[in-house]
Amino acid sequence: MTEAPAQRIVEDHFSALQQARAEVNRVIVDKAEVVDFAFTALLAGGHLLIEDLPGVGKTTLAHAMSISLGGSWQRIQFTNDMLPADIVGVSVFHRDEASFEFRPGPVFANVVLADEINRATPRTQSALLEAMAEGQVTVDGQTHSLPQPFFVIATQNPLDMVGTYPLPDSQLDRFLLRTRIGYPSQAEERRLLTEPDRRTYLADLKPSLNPEAVLALADQAARLHVSEPVLDYIQALIAATRSHAAIRVGLSPRAGLALIRTARAHAFLNRSDFCTPESVKTVFPGLAAHRLQVQPESGLSSEDIIDEILSATAVP
Amino acid sequence: MTRAPSPIPVYWVLAALTITSAPHLIAMPAWLATLFLLMVAWRALAANRAWSAPPALLRLTISVILLVLVVVASGGHFSRRAATTLLCMMMAAKLMEMFSPRDLRLVAALSFFMMTAQFLFNERLVYLVYLALGAWTATMALISIQQQQTVTLLSPKLAKTEQLARQGRQAAMMIVLALPVAALLFVLFPRLASPLWGLPQQSMDGRTGLSDELTAGSIANLFLDDSPALRVEFPDGQPPPVEDRYWRGPVLTELDGSTWRRSSRADQSSPLPEAGVGEEFEHRVQLEPHERRWLFALDHPRSGPEDSRLTTTRELLSRNPVTTLTQYDVRSVSSPFGPSDLPVSARAYYLALPQDRNPRTRAFADELRDRFPDDESGLVAYVLEWFRTEPFRYSLATAPLGRHNADEFLFDLRDGYCEYYASAFAILMRAADIPSRVVLGYMGGDWQEGGEYLLVRQSDAHAWTEVWIDGSGWVRVDPTAAVSPDRIDYGARGAIREPRHVLDNEWLRNLRNRLDRAQHTWNRWILGFDADRQMRMLERLGLPRGSHTTLAIMMVAGLALATLILAVLLWRRDLKRPRSEVERAWRLLLARLRRHGLTKQAAETPLEFAQRAEKELGPKALDFGRLARWYHHAHYGQSHPPLEKRFLAAARKFRPV
Repeated sequence: MTEAPAQRIVEDHFSALQQARAEVNRVIVDKAEVVDFAFTALLAGGHLLIEDLPGVGKTTLAHAMSISLGGSWQRIQFTNDMLPADIVGVSVFHRDEASFEFRPGPVFANVVLADEINRATPRTQSALLEAMAEGQVTVDGQTHSLPQPFFVIATQNPLDMVGTYPLPDSQLDRFLLRTRIGYPSQAEERRLLTEPDRRTYLADLKPSLNPEAVLALADQAARLHVSEPVLDYIQALIAATRSHAAIRVGLSPRAGLALIRTARAHAFLNRSDFCTPESVKTVFPGLAAHRLQVQPESGLSSEDIIDEILSATAVP
Repeated sequence: MTRAPSPIPVYWVLAALTITSAPHLIAMPAWLATLFLLMVAWRALAANRAWSAPPALLRLTISVILLVLVVVASGGHFSRRAATTLLCMMMAAKLMEMFSPRDLRLVAALSFFMMTAQFLFNERLVYLVYLALGAWTATMALISIQQQQTVTLLSPKLAKTEQLARQGRQAAMMIVLALPVAALLFVLFPRLASPLWGLPQQSMDGRTGLSDELTAGSIANLFLDDSPALRVEFPDGQPPPVEDRYWRGPVLTELDGSTWRRSSRADQSSPLPEAGVGEEFEHRVQLEPHERRWLFALDHPRSGPEDSRLTTTRELLSRNPVTTLTQYDVRSVSSPFGPSDLPVSARAYYLALPQDRNPRTRAFADELRDRFPDDESGLVAYVLEWFRTEPFRYSLATAPLGRHNADEFLFDLRDGYCEYYASAFAILMRAADIPSRVVLGYMGGDWQEGGEYLLVRQSDAHAWTEVWIDGSGWVRVDPTAAVSPDRIDYGARGAIREPRHVLDNEWLRNLRNRLDRAQHTWNRWILGFDADRQMRMLERLGLPRGSHTTLAIMMVAGLALATLILAVLLWRRDLKRPRSEVERAWRLLLARLRRHGLTKQAAETPLEFAQRAEKELGPKALDFGRLARWYHHAHYGQSHPPLEKRFLAAARKFRPV
């Protein structure tokens, strides 16, 4: 009878998760969807890309997340003179011991905030992206595993800003979800202006979770029941991206798997014990928008097309 | 985003126009047809190269030139053919300004019209196949234009062939769906007893039927023409014996040189002569259009259809030329009784011969008259016997005859077919003081077992004679029968042993007969469905005869019904079969809400819909919100029978309001 205690542990973890979620929402007010996306990406074992203008709270969100998760956290501010070693780390020669010692870079943390990732050169970007894809880094022939869970929140300025190296299309899908924060609402803006700096809240933030709990929760989320109608819905959405006239390349099977994984995590986060069509619908834009290649002459953005697909695909 | 429009819709429209115009193109002068095709080719090239429309002045000039060319080609004579030629060429001119979706659509729609215009000339069954092809292509063109216009972002991006196959199926489906409506309109659309307007004449496209003249040799070309001339049904199902199958047409009474003609006064009506004696045959004739007024009937017609009359020579004449397939009932008797005596003037008329011709025939006739004084029957019998015993032959390969045509034929050539015999025999009879005339028509016919009708072909064309025997009246005499009984028993084809042309073999003839049976059925049920039959159908349904209002009401009601059925079918097709009992119950729930003006969008999840329902219906929808949550769990969650049962029970009881 190991199930009952295990179940209770999971339930404890689950309430810790909800508490962490509430904590972060206390810091990042009025952006519950973005916070949900962040937790969803975490539970689905993926990474989050936040794309927005400077000053809307990207860093604060990442910081709050990392604190409430209770693991180690690192922040990497990307610049254009950065080298891959600045991220993954270097091997240092110790004269005393006549051997090399690996000095881990900032990527060795449970939560990594990669700020303004598109300011770095593609070479440096790919060092991070490869670490994200493989969960390990290789320096001088030595492979070093990254800590688990490993969760990257990258922020990126919109691509039309000066002095940036846009992430290549093929690298974008290293990020499970991409989202925008957007401007705060009128009321929220007023609070931002009148109340003390949000960052001071960060100091009060207590870690609610720990790395083991996050892994256990992720494992639980990955086993959520997905019914036939929901699978049908997922397939219909993917098929719609492949047959859409304005899309050059539709979603890959890997993206399909990612969609199920993400929808499960999202449903789990929202206290459902099965994958719901609402979750699929909610995560679909964040999952698909950066993976689609739109025909430039169609004059549409991938967000427009995804809205269109969502509003035209029947929910079985 | 200005993208050059795809040329594909243009290609489809051009294909539709070309296919639907094809029969007109074949019938018009070749150089005009070539012009038409050149315009089509130019437009295709323009689409391919994305050229823009030529300037308005140029378009106008070319249109005027085309108009003039059509007028020139028709010789200023405005016939039906000239009208369709004009239509074709103006369509070609329209291609010059066909540069917007609206114009493309217009041309595609007019293609349907081009196709129906062909029915002015030909209503044969084979055109149904052509019609289907034309309708399909034109529909494809319309679909293609539509597709192009609604560059639907959601339209599936398919491989070209797959897209084509899909559109093709769609076009076919549209036509199939239109069929019931077409059938309904066909049955119920009020028909006029007579045509709306007088159609210009000449629809035969240069095909020859029987003419109203006979110069030895004029029927010959018909022997090779196996197209149907008429079909005859008999109410009792039994055709007359082979030797009595004479289908009487024009009667030629005047010999002008070597040409027999109809009397110019023949069209004058005459009081119906006395009823004949002998067996009476009632029959229904389906006559192919032949542009003349006579209606062929079994020898001798006694009474014909309403708008026809019998002439003094007992020709059955229709009021108007037969320009469309015509069906009529005739009553014939095998041997008529004419007036007991031929008036002197008429007698002289039927004895008239050109003076300075055929001396040998005259001499032979004098000889005969001396041998058979006052015994016309004996004389006729003798001459027929003479034909039989002398070396006369039945042959299609004949030499042309000169001035003394009867002389040359009776004494030198002795080789010919019905016209030669009929003409020479009639001349001989006149020379022998026996009134005579030549009758043109058809002889024989194939009994079609499956269709129970007699098929008479153009190749059954025949000429025979009638002579006046005092006391008997006009008696049919067929000199050809004396020479070649086979001609009578087996028809012209049987009388000539060798095949007439390469396509003349048993198998093909059988095939043709089979096709003709299909054609006959088509004629009978589709083309023959006229005002009268329509009214009779109404009567059988117990509705007032002759009421166009009834027809109109039925038509509108029928169309509404057809539309409704179609809508339901389409709607049902939209819904996939439910996966489970739970889903079925959910759909019923949705249907009930729909009746209360609340419709779930396809892209809405059950919970989203419930939320909206609560917003729109207020507290009334509270129950529904609970049901939607149960459904959400039962449908998307893991199987949980108690929940399903609870949902089903609640769903059954649920009533909005």
